[in-house]
Amino acid sequence: MSESNKIIQEFTSAEYKEGFVTDVEQEFIPKGLNEDIIRLISRRKEEPAWLLEFRLDAFRKWQAMPQPDWAHLDMPEIDFQDIIYYAAPKKDKDRPKEIDPKLAETFDKLGIPLREREALAGVVAVDAVFDSVSVTTTFRKTLAEKGIIFCSFSEAVKEHPDLVRQYLASVVPASDNFFAALNSAVFSDGSFCYIPKGVRCPMELSSYFRINARGTGQFERTLIVADEGSYVSYMEGCTAPMRDERQLHAAVVEIVVEKDADVKYSTVQNWYPGDADGKGGILNLVTKRGICKGSGSHLSWTQVETGSAITWKYPSTILKGDFSASEFYSVAVTNNHQQADTGTKMIHLGRGTRSRIVSKGISAGVSQNSYRGLVRMGRNALNARNYSQCDSLLIGSRCGAHTFPVIHSQCPSATVEHEATTSKISEDQLFYCNQRGIGPEDAVGLIVNGYAREVLSRLPMEFAVEAQKLLQVSLEGSVG
Amino acid sequence: MGHGKYIAPPRGQYQVLSGEVLNLEFVVLPGESRDIDLSVDLVGEGAQAHIKALYLCKADEKVNFRICMHHCAPGCHSTQKINGIAGGSAQVHFDGTIVVAPEAQQTEAYQENHNIVLTEEAKVETRPQLEIYADDVKCSHGATVGQLNPDELFYMRSRGIPEAEARTLQMLSFLSPVIPAGRGEEIEKAIRSL
Repeated sequence: MSESNKIIQEFTSAEYKEGFVTDVEQEFIPKGLNEDIIRLISRRKEEPAWLLEFRLDAFRKWQAMPQPDWAHLDMPEIDFQDIIYYAAPKKDKDRPKEIDPKLAETFDKLGIPLREREALAGVVAVDAVFDSVSVTTTFRKTLAEKGIIFCSFSEAVKEHPDLVRQYLASVVPASDNFFAALNSAVFSDGSFCYIPKGVRCPMELSSYFRINARGTGQFERTLIVADEGSYVSYMEGCTAPMRDERQLHAAVVEIVVEKDADVKYSTVQNWYPGDADGKGGILNLVTKRGICKGSGSHLSWTQVETGSAITWKYPSTILKGDFSASEFYSVAVTNNHQQADTGTKMIHLGRGTRSRIVSKGISAGVSQNSYRGLVRMGRNALNARNYSQCDSLLIGSRCGAHTFPVIHSQCPSATVEHEATTSKISEDQLFYCNQRGIGPEDAVGLIVNGYAREVLSRLPMEFAVEAQKLLQVSLEGSVG
Repeated sequence: MGHGKYIAPPRGQYQVLSGEVLNLEFVVLPGESRDIDLSVDLVGEGAQAHIKALYLCKADEKVNFRICMHHCAPGCHSTQKINGIAGGSAQVHFDGTIVVAPEAQQTEAYQENHNIVLTEEAKVETRPQLEIYADDVKCSHGATVGQLNPDELFYMRSRGIPEAEARTLQMLSFLSPVIPAGRGEEIEKAIRSL
């Protein structure tokens, strides 16, 4: 109890502590978006011709697409010509191999270990992305011994062009949706990860995304390929400085899971949520999708969403292989003027496929929090099974919680179950805590953590503590 | 663009005032294609609305349910139960929304939609939705799409009940919560015809 009390104490006094700006010399390309800008990004990254073609093709498709407005969000007008699409910290010419000490300091402050020797015993390999470029990737050698490729996307394009070409846009096509098309046209950096046949990745892999420069957007792209019988656990974290402008983050994540492979993907999303009056914050418009390609494959999504002014995100799985399985565990917290429209899609195509959805929404302040999901049972999804549970917790009388699930079944032997509840923290629970000397704010923290436990317990150890603290900070000031 | 805030749905067909109780029951028998479009506004404090519906399909029927339950006043109570069985190449859509306005505190709203798909050609799509803008509420919805439980069938058959009879009993029990009083025999007959 005293330990968790300390955590609560420590964090109820804290605001968004990742909101600082790193003063580092950066190079930018001009504002705006057109074919010349895309050519410029491609040239800057020394990309092969096929990738430039891919970008231009996506850009042309994007131009013909309308921005979607079906989400339960009050979306501000985005001026796509008013964004800088590429910003990179300048490299020191004298020692181009080393990381700028200022950047190292930034990631140090964020608690991301960039130096391998400093990492804890439960090691994590990190790919750190600062604005549009990957700063460093740790433990590459150790991983390479096992045949695992873990590097920045740009390096992968140069060093493993065949693999990238084979899998790029195979799960999320360039024309999939408005923001995926935009990302395909201008994506800058991200992580690439390939686990060869039968290899169990010995450490957690992780990407850390940091937005720093003013007036920019971040458009990263992550591609994970798990070959037959392999296993990997992948984590993703992100933060941004506090600013009163809205910044755009439109990422694409693609995951390919081959026969009998197992991928665990965890996110703790902590972009700057804007201030208490809803000024500023990140627009987080993300497309994440995985495919369970081979039989017996398994993909698990776990997400803790506490940041961003607007979240528009639906990590999805296509269950193509027979007897493949997927899970989605989510906690989404919104406070003040935050808005979240998030959920998942489970597309069952193969026989005996299984999926499980557990979503916990928590809304406070004047925020709006929606779960939106789709479960589709295809004609051949014999004996497929899905179970969904979506709970919402309301704190305060001015927020909203919404549930929009869609169930589509075309198979008589498939079973789909969906259950949703909405409620507030009961007076009884609060009274029970207060009576035992736990203040109202601490009591809410305690109850919320218990409510979200089922999801939090799925997170890798490194993330679980952070996520628990984040829940506390996000809800600070929402009671009393 | 976008619509993240509370917007009251258009005025419904039914306005339920304080102290009133609205009971609606629907039966869609095999061979009938029906669009059931309902909107209910609970406008008086403590108003109640209860909807029960069942459908049975065996050919190429198209059955659509569209229900909007709008809680506008405090302390209202609503329940919805829609169960049905889709055979043949029937297409069934269920689109049900519960909207709880910011002033509708102490709301209790429940919605259930259970479907059984008998054949490969039949299609069921269900969209149960909750839009809640008040905090002191108890709301839940549940939706399932599945098949007749083989364990139950085995249990009955191992006790000498013929398969056809056992299946009829299963379907009857599945529908029983939504069968209107006095129409049991008619519905049993319809089940036997599937």
